[in-house]
Amino acid sequence: MAELKYLYGIIPTDELNQTPLPSFKGLDEQHEWYPIAFDGIQAIVCDLEESDYNESALEEKTSDVEWVHEKAFHHHEAVMRLHESYTVIPMKFATIYTSKTNLEETLTNHYQEMDGLLSWLKGKEEWNLKIYCDNDSLRKRTAAHNLTIEEKKKELEHMSPGRQYLEKRKLDRLIDQELEKDKEQQSSSIHDQLVTYSVKTDIKKNWNKDVTGRTDEMCWNSVYLLENQEAEEFLGKVKQLQKEWKEAGFTLELTGPWPAYHFSKLK
Amino acid sequence: MSHRQEFENKDVGLIDVLDVVLDKGVAIKGDLIISIAGIDLVYLDLRVLISSVETLVQSKLDGDGQLSSEQFEKEKEALDHVTKT
Repeated sequence: MAELKYLYGIIPTDELNQTPLPSFKGLDEQHEWYPIAFDGIQAIVCDLEESDYNESALEEKTSDVEWVHEKAFHHHEAVMRLHESYTVIPMKFATIYTSKTNLEETLTNHYQEMDGLLSWLKGKEEWNLKIYCDNDSLRKRTAAHNLTIEEKKKELEHMSPGRQYLEKRKLDRLIDQELEKDKEQQSSSIHDQLVTYSVKTDIKKNWNKDVTGRTDEMCWNSVYLLENQEAEEFLGKVKQLQKEWKEAGFTLELTGPWPAYHFSKLK
Repeated sequence: MSHRQEFENKDVGLIDVLDVVLDKGVAIKGDLIISIAGIDLVYLDLRVLISSVETLVQSKLDGDGQLSSEQFEKEKEALDHVTKT
């Protein structure tokens, strides 16, 4: 029966020679993962039955949110396992090749680039920062301390009650806009203090509450690539910032060290 | 305990994982890989899921908007009443 190759990541051969691959069950919970050698690099894969994971079967599976959640976690765990022992180029979830030949073609085409990327990634790690904020308390602060809003409020005092009602609604919208500006500025100032420790950074989109399942709102989402030896200082800085911003209603959530998902780019 | 140990021991949530493994990681285009079709679908599904919730919230907000404009009409009437008498 034809077998598909699910690719988790690429690691350097010399590192694999020093530390043998730990045992780990693949995506289908049956086939063990194993390395496919290609020159100085190793593709870490597991086999999948073609009949269970062909394009239409996969289409059906990926439409099941539960399946995606479970298997995305599996992918995460697998790549984390690699990251614990080796330098790794992490693949995106559900990177599946139709055959070994097909995978080897890709490796041939991208060997130089992958090899270069692995040398660059060696000794580096990724940390992800998400900032959440308590919108209500921040809104109160913005409403109380913003000069533009202060002026508008004064103007309001001299208006007729009907006019005041309309203008108050406008003022509410203005407060919302100013609140967004404040959040962006403050988060960005936190980010700037962390950039100095990083080799590379990236700013990502914020997810809304329905996706995060939290009651507070995500107002910043960024990633940092660090040299291993810089991590301790970086983390110390994050801790200090967490304390500094807590009272103002900002919660800094840091996760890591991740494999370099955001900084492994091939042309 | 080093800062590292402290941060490493933290639980990673679903959003943290999805934000990484669906959004990033190496995807090689131009090869015959199922993932390209697969991942787009996953993406699409998440987007559909998210946007459907967003629409729901939006229509609720719009509903509230209507309520307050009704409220506004009432207040306006009351005001008119007061100024006329």
